[in-house]
Formats: sequence, structure tokens, C-alpha cells
Amino acid sequence: MEKARVDLPPKGGFSFDLCRRNEMLTKKGLQLPGFRKTGTTIVGLIFEDGVILGADTRATEGPIVADKNCEKIHYMAPNIYCCGAGTAADTEAVTDMVSSQLQLHRYATRRESRVITALTLLKSHLFSYQGHVSAALVLGGVDITGPHLHTVYPHGSTDTLPFATMGSGSLAAMAVFESKYKEGLTREDGIQLVGEAICSGIFNDLGSGSNVDVCVITKGKTDYLRNHQLPNPRTYISSRGYSFDRGHTEVLSTKITPLKLKAEVVENDAMEE
Amino acid sequence: MDPDLSAPHSMGTTIIGVTYDGGVVLGADSRTSTGMYVANRASDKITQLTDNVYVCRSGSAADSQILSDYVRYFLNQHTIQLGQPATVKVAANLVRLFSYQNKNMLQTGLIIGGWDKYEGGQIYSVPLGGTVLKQPFTIGGSGSSYLYGFFDQAWKDGMSKDEAEKLVVKAVSLAIARDGASGGVVRTVTINAEGATRNFYSGDSLPLWHEELEPRNSLLDILVSGASPEPMSI
Amino acid sequence: MSIFEYNGSALVAMVGKNCFAIASDRRLGVQLQTVATDFRRIYRIHDKVYIGLSGLATDAQTLYQRLVFRHKLYQLREERDMKPETFASLVSSILYEKRFGPYFCQPVIAGLGDDDQPFICTMDCLGAKELAKDFVVSGSASESLYGACESMYKPDMEPEELFENISQALLASVDRDCLSGWGGHVFLVTPSEVQERTLKGRMD
Repeated sequence: MEKARVDLPPKGGFSFDLCRRNEMLTKKGLQLPGFRKTGTTIVGLIFEDGVILGADTRATEGPIVADKNCEKIHYMAPNIYCCGAGTAADTEAVTDMVSSQLQLHRYATRRESRVITALTLLKSHLFSYQGHVSAALVLGGVDITGPHLHTVYPHGSTDTLPFATMGSGSLAAMAVFESKYKEGLTREDGIQLVGEAICSGIFNDLGSGSNVDVCVITKGKTDYLRNHQLPNPRTYISSRGYSFDRGHTEVLSTKITPLKLKAEVVENDAMEE
Repeated sequence: MDPDLSAPHSMGTTIIGVTYDGGVVLGADSRTSTGMYVANRASDKITQLTDNVYVCRSGSAADSQILSDYVRYFLNQHTIQLGQPATVKVAANLVRLFSYQNKNMLQTGLIIGGWDKYEGGQIYSVPLGGTVLKQPFTIGGSGSSYLYGFFDQAWKDGMSKDEAEKLVVKAVSLAIARDGASGGVVRTVTINAEGATRNFYSGDSLPLWHEELEPRNSLLDILVSGASPEPMSI
Repeated sequence: MSIFEYNGSALVAMVGKNCFAIASDRRLGVQLQTVATDFRRIYRIHDKVYIGLSGLATDAQTLYQRLVFRHKLYQLREERDMKPETFASLVSSILYEKRFGPYFCQPVIAGLGDDDQPFICTMDCLGAKELAKDFVVSGSASESLYGACESMYKPDMEPEELFENISQALLASVDRDCLSGWGGHVFLVTPSEVQERTLKGRMD
């Protein structure tokens, strides 16, 4: 008897079965689409008692701003965060994958994750895809061995630095860091400098924009300051807004399906007497 | 000018390995670039493999990092199985093995230097294709083309430790002056029977060569301190 | 011509007060030739989760079949419906699996969560999620939809007001896109009922 074949959900890994068809479509002159990128400014620096990460919040698709307030500082572990630049799907997927590996590693070892573990997992994944997974990352965290800051390039090379920038706005942000970074900054001065570097990216790089996200990681404590600065508030909205009369739109047909309400069954305690 | 930031991270480099009487000196600059952009101006291209063996990396940063990570892993395992430090020859041979077996994937040239009790200080170079060459001294990276003549003239058999280290620093500073892809600081590692010592020479402590200017904090200082520059004439 | 413009499409989802609406055009074309004028791009996953698939129609249908299959497996195993957030993650991982040979679809997902809080989200064809609080758009008319929604959207709209708003935004936008139009489909979902309406639009 022939075994019934069922397309079971895959267990992981990439599938390449559409590659040949897509190649045929491109040969026929159909352009393949651009993917959502984070034309980005992301930065990080080490201050007196930890690491500060910063990012802008613009996501782009070609010249279109696809998201005005996206999150580019990804969670890796409670004491480790990671800023992502490059193709949005890749940065999202690679950080999610590594953060779940770190969580499992913590369950197995019952110890806090180390930044170097995250770094090695990231670089070995990226290296094995030879730069085709285009994620450029700034990885920062504080572990038992102290504060750490690394940059990871799509090809899998890594750098260890006291201050780092990445993404299309990295030149603008690095100019700020190179002129103002000092060793042993205080928390306030660190946040201020990171904000300044991101703003330099927001205003001088077209791929970066909107708001400033900051993440401060110190020993035993992480503060995620979402939208720490809002230098580009919306000013063009009408206070009244558009309103249309009921029935203004011409409707050809309407089908109404009532939804079943969820009934809550309260069971009495059987042991009660 | 468009600095190609998506280009792979590569180390247009100057790396040097020199043997002397009793050990070896390894030297490297500290510039890592992506296209036209200096991605890291203080990188460390001299990587530790074991207590007594170090490696200078050039070419693609990703490839050379992965390669030296693998070699370090296998050498550590080898050291445990052997119960004594790995020899420099074994380290060089492992690098050669990985470089040769993956030669169509890798874009990296390395210089392995170290000391062991059997053969003393040794330098091996493993260039692009995966050959291994034992040499009394060797140079590598894009900056090396400016140094061949200099080494032919300046290298001598049986130098002292200080002479060898001075030679390495001088050579790297010469290459930094002429090669656009090399720059930053000079890092050295000296390995002998006593162990390994790291040294660091900051960019402004290096000797000035032909037509090089004194380092200044800002270009504006030139305007403030000296006579005003000549107005442009048409 | 981009592969996304081969069939032409316009998709939009908007959030109201404890409700949401998801709308699409009705045209299916092959480049400039119109093939169908009653095409459906919005699919029901269960009573409170809907997905719109813009882009290449063949991929949209394949993707929809795989999603229904995976959702049915989930229902069998868990004896409950997927939350919209879970469903969005499922779509994202199915798309990212084909990172190097993608489905040419840009999904728009809209749903009501357990506490009747609306959830909307869109993705690119690799599965990069974009969660929004107000509205999401996709398709060949997305550029005009961005503009229309950006000015017409108001927070906390009641269902009927939301319907007028999303319909006008859609109709205004498809009039500036050759590749989409021929009226629209609107799903208006509140905690108690689903209204599916067909809109009259220009026939050129």
C-alpha cells in the first residue's frame, strides 16, 4: 500500500523550490521586487557602567517610507540587545533565531547569556550564507565579564570597539562619535551622545529618519527607551479630519454574518458540600 | 564619491613576520576597510592561536576570522590530546589544510609565527592558494609590495629582539605611509622561550617619512598658528 | 515592469474602535489586459482573522492554500483558533523560508484578538513584519493609498464611519492606478458581526 503523502510543515531551513521559476521570470524581463530595507542609522557605545545602543525608526522600500516608527533594537537576551541594519526580514529573522538559541542555552546551563556567545552564533550563521543574508548588526550587552560592544557585517566578520556605527547613516553618526566620544562617559552624557549621533543620521542621511530609540544596558538592569526623542512630530494633520456621510459610498451588496458569542462555562466545584 | 558600504569587509593590510635570535616578532597595521570607508581604525589583526603561536591575518576579514577560529579550536583539542603545547609547524599545517581544502571559497593570506622547544622561533606564510612556506622573514597584505626592497636590504640573520622589533615597526610605518589601504597604529607580538608579549605603537608616535606632516589636532590649527595661506590665483 | 505589477492590486486595512476593516479592489489583470472584474484577494482564515494577498495572483493562491492547511492543523492540535499575532508570525515564517526564492506576495493581515483589540500588520515578500496602530496598505496602488490613508485616517472610528473612510480611501487611490480598480470588497469586522460589502467603482 502506498503511503499517503502529506505536505507536513517543514522543520526549518530555507526552501529553494521557487528559485528556478523566479529566475525564468527575470529572464522574461519581469523585475524582481526590492525588499524592505532599513536604510538605517544604528550606533552603540560603552560608557562607565555599561553599554548604550541607539537607532532611528525609519523603514524604507525603495524611495517609499514603509514604516515611520519601526523598532530596530532587537531583544537577544535580558542583558543583550542588538541593533539591525540591512534587509528587514534578515535582521528580524537572524536576531529572533539567535535569541531563541540563547534562551535554550540558558535553560540548559542556568546561567546568564554572554555577549560572545551571541556574537559567535550570529557570525557563524552569517558566514555560512556568504553575505546573502544581509544583516549588519551592532551587538551590545553586559555579562559576567563586563560590558561588550561588537559590530557584525553581513559576510560574518566582526569587530570589537568602544564605539560603533552601522547602516547608511553610519558615516554621519561616526563623525559625531569621532569628535565627541571619551572613555568613561556618564549615563546621561552617553545617552546624550547616542541621541546626537542618531539625529545626525536622521537629518543628514535620507535612508534614516523619524525618532530616536535608545537602549541602556547596565549590570543587572536594562532600560529600553522607546522613542526617547521625537525630533520629527507630525504637523500636517487636519484637526477635524475627513468625515463622510453615512451611505456616501455606493454599495452594490452587503452580506452580514453574525458571530457566535463566546459562552463562558462556569463549573461548580464538585467537592463542595 | 560613494563609499561602497555593502562591499565585503576586507583588510587592505600590511602584515610582517620576522625571526630573530631566540624568537619571532609579528607586526601589523590596524586598518579595516569596506570599499572606501575605514570601518575600524584600531583593529587587531594579530590573533592568538595558542599560548605560543599567533597568526597575522590579511584579505577578507570574515574568511580570516573564521579560519583562525577553526584552527584555534583544533589546536586546543590537539594540545589536550598531546598533553603538551602544539608546535608552530602543526599550527601552520592546519592553516594550510583549511586554506587549501577551501581555496575556492577563501580570500585570505596568513602569516603564522611562534616558538616551540623543538625548532625555536619559526615563521610560516600561507598565501592565497594554500601553500605553506617556512621563511626567516615574510611580509603580506597590500602594503607588502612597498616593502620587498626594504627587507632585502635591512633584514639580517641573527638580529637581537630589539633590532627585530624596531625593524618591524619601521617597516609597517613605511607601508602605512605609502599604502592607502594600510593605516592606524602598529601592533606587534614578540614570541620567544619566555612567552608572548604584545606591543602597541600609536599613529602619532611613528616616524615621519618623506613629505609627511607633523600630526595636528585640526586643520584649523594651520590657519591659526602660521601665516595665512596663499590666496588662490587664477 | 515589476513582478508585483503583473496582476495589479490594491489592499488596505484600517483600525477603528474595537473593530477593523480590510478592503481590496476587484480587478485581476495580466499586465494591461483585464481578465476578471470580480477577483477576491481577501481571504477569511477564521471569523476574526483575515488576510489580503497582493502581488502575483498565482503565488497568492498557493500561499493561501498553505496557510489554510497550516491553520487547520493548528485547530486540530490546539482545539482553538489562531490569535492574529500568531497567524502573522506563521505567515512571516512561511515567507522567510523562501528567502532566496520568494513568493511575490505582500500580505496584509487584520484580525480581532481575544479582548476584541484590533490587530493589523503587513509584510514584504520575505516576511519582514510591520505592525501598525492605524492603517496598512499594499499592492500596485500602495503609493496612492499611503497618501489617501495618511490624510483620511482618524483614531477610534465607529464601524460605519470606518467603512466610509476605508472605502473612500480605496476608491480614491485605485482611480490613480491603471492596474487596479473595478470597485472593491470591504470586510468590516466587529466583535458581534462581519459585514462583507461590495463597492461600486469606476469601470475603466
